Amino acid sequence: MISHRDRNAQRISALDERAEALHLKRGMGIADARAMHPSIEIVEADPEADRRLLEGLADWCDRYTPLVAIDGIDGLFLDVTGCTHLFGGERAMLDDILSRFFHQGFDVRAGLAATPGAAWAAARFAGDHIVQSGEEEALLVPLPLAALRIEPEIRASLESVGLRTAGAVMAAPRAPLARRFGATLLLRLDQALGRLDEAVSPRLPVAPLSVERHLAEPIMLTDDIERLVSLLATTLKADLERRGEGARRLALLLFRVDGAVSRIAVGTSRPLREPLLIQKLFHERLAALEQDIDAGYGFDLVRLSVLSAAAFDMQQADLTGETDDCDADIALFADRIRARLGEGAVLRSVTVESHLPERAVATVPFSEVPQRTSPPRRPVRNPPMTIYPPATIYPRERPIRLFRSPEPIEVPATEMPEGPPMNFRWRRALYRVARAEGPERIAPEWWRGQGGEDAPTRDYFRIEDSDGRRYWLYRQGLYGASQASPRWFMHGVFA
Amino acid sequence: MAMTAVARETVFALRRQIAKIEGTLPDRLQAPAGTAPAGSPPDADVTSRNLTIVRRGLAVVPSDAFLRTGAEPLDAALGGGLPKAALTEIHGTETRDAGAVAGFALALVSLILKQQQPRLPVLWIGTSEIFREAGFPYARGLHGLFGIEPGELLFSEAPRLVDALWVAEEAARMTALAAVILEIRGSPQRLDLTATRRLHARAQNAGRPVFLLRQAGEAEPTAAPVRLIVSAASSASRATIAGPLAGSIGRPAFTVSIGKSRTALPGQFTLEWNPDEHVFEQRRAGGAKNPVPVVPASRRRKDPAPASGAVLAFAAVGSPAAISPTARDQPSRPQRPAHIGPRRAG
Repeated sequence: MISHRDRNAQRISALDERAEALHLKRGMGIADARAMHPSIEIVEADPEADRRLLEGLADWCDRYTPLVAIDGIDGLFLDVTGCTHLFGGERAMLDDILSRFFHQGFDVRAGLAATPGAAWAAARFAGDHIVQSGEEEALLVPLPLAALRIEPEIRASLESVGLRTAGAVMAAPRAPLARRFGATLLLRLDQALGRLDEAVSPRLPVAPLSVERHLAEPIMLTDDIERLVSLLATTLKADLERRGEGARRLALLLFRVDGAVSRIAVGTSRPLREPLLIQKLFHERLAALEQDIDAGYGFDLVRLSVLSAAAFDMQQADLTGETDDCDADIALFADRIRARLGEGAVLRSVTVESHLPERAVATVPFSEVPQRTSPPRRPVRNPPMTIYPPATIYPRERPIRLFRSPEPIEVPATEMPEGPPMNFRWRRALYRVARAEGPERIAPEWWRGQGGEDAPTRDYFRIEDSDGRRYWLYRQGLYGASQASPRWFMHGVFA
Repeated sequence: MAMTAVARETVFALRRQIAKIEGTLPDRLQAPAGTAPAGSPPDADVTSRNLTIVRRGLAVVPSDAFLRTGAEPLDAALGGGLPKAALTEIHGTETRDAGAVAGFALALVSLILKQQQPRLPVLWIGTSEIFREAGFPYARGLHGLFGIEPGELLFSEAPRLVDALWVAEEAARMTALAAVILEIRGSPQRLDLTATRRLHARAQNAGRPVFLLRQAGEAEPTAAPVRLIVSAASSASRATIAGPLAGSIGRPAFTVSIGKSRTALPGQFTLEWNPDEHVFEQRRAGGAKNPVPVVPASRRRKDPAPASGAVLAFAAVGSPAAISPTARDQPSRPQRPAHIGPRRAG
């Protein structure tokens, strides 16, 4: 028996058959239940865990249709339009779902109808029932008001005027109903009867393309999975070719026999459709996830879906197409590294317009960016003197390595208040300054002032210590400008 | 040399056999002036006296298998330069030398990129530890000093050494990369002879250099044919028209010593990187002197015209002023403001 806290009292929120046999009911206080039967076992409700379980079940239901939606705290909608023939018809599909859930240890009630509302009512009040199209009204008429998916308050007020079944509501005139009980009631009624369309919003985006294979014998080995990926990718290639696209994100779904679903996604830098390359990517990903994937008793359904696709540029192979090959090689290499080590494993620097040195360069994950913004240069015969204009002029005196966050250093003394230090202590070692250049004053952009007040300016110095190593230090703030004495930081090293 | 001719012949035959088995390490023989090398095999044709004969097994490899650093003594000591298709170790004795070590490696990369058309990207692999301890490569500085565009350098940051080694091995066999830099800290067990041999073999197959930067590492047996130990050298002053500018920090300088090489004797060299031309220069004994006059000599007069005005607090170099040392620091009479003249009590 499961209890939950409702209006400052522990009440029964769910109970099993044996507890029902003891005449306990939902909503009963725990104290009353204990008084009746002192030996009952009570567990605190855990809505989070329930939610996780429901999501796991929704994942599992992906094997029947990609359109799975979660309904409330205890229901799932499966939009099986166009899917039933794959499982041998509606009846066979429903039986398959019920028997598989039963073997997993769940007590499930299912209904199948042309509208979500009718299916909901069929599942909860008719039990394992298939409602043919047009029979919704016949189904709903004898059912209680709860079958209409309406709020408890509306239900209570309907009952107070004597409308106790759905049939009674349907028979009543519509206009007074809408005026008295709100539009929701009629909306639900119309949706259940199919007069209004109701969309089931799927939990996951529907993949534009997916290929799957049901297996008679569950597979467990990584090698087998990879071989299967290659087979599926070969099928996928034909579909992608027909659409003139390549995959940018791919997901591999492994449905375990006992209901757990593993979802493995890989991204690509450029649209991809070669089965061998797709298999390579999943090879790396599977190698990285080896510890996390538990094959258990094996997987009986494997699905490869394309989550997002992009136009695939057909490239005509020319005799000297070396550069394109190089780009493709690097893109594939980066994809493989990323499949194994995560999204940030291959980085690229981009320069950003900013005064602050640490903000002037950003590292971004490597991807195929259209770098060639300008058309390729036409070869000129006998170039007199090719002078390429620099793209951007950077200041020369910048360190080659920059610390992620400036490291504070101790400066005991400076020769002049505004001048470079004479010696400093960094990482517990004392450095003697032999030569210094500076200061170069760098202040953040005025529009980046933190909360209206100016961030302290920095005076940067190039320092060469007595051993010849060159550093980039800065003093934050000015002497005498504020009460706190300025602090010194080590920001980078020069070659 | 007390070695008999027979013994020398035996040694040479063994060497040749080793080179044949390895098929990798080119046997370089510097032809001394005057005579042919003592153990010179008859099939190596010596065309010129100061020619470096490069032999790989029994086949002569072209001399562009080596990356010339541009500093003559270092190239000569290494027998033509650093091998291009090989693993090269670059050591820094302490982590604080990371700037110099990385700078030297990037200078070599810059030399490689200069020869390439089109320029291929370079991959720099490091563990998270080294990037945290020694700083992350900074694209603006690299562009200014080595002419490497931000888009040409890719980084791979691996949380563990195993991952970094895996990335390096995968990258070392790619021909689409101009060079691979693997940077690690210390002397981890995983980077042993086997791991370096794998890297070296892949670098040879791909024909691309792999630079192994080891910060604060010990010299351990590895498969790399060349190991250089790099540390920072104090730079020369900036050159101006009026001579070196005192107290300024000029071009980056490196002290490079050869820690291991098949052919070279241990030696130490001081190199200077020229960030304008992107070449290495050997530090000259008498400071960096520009051999070309910066300003053409005046046609009519020998000396430049004397500076006009009085010399103030700073003594200009080459100033013809013959003011007495005591009077030099004082402003001359007409410049002395009237209002701070001695005031009589009135």
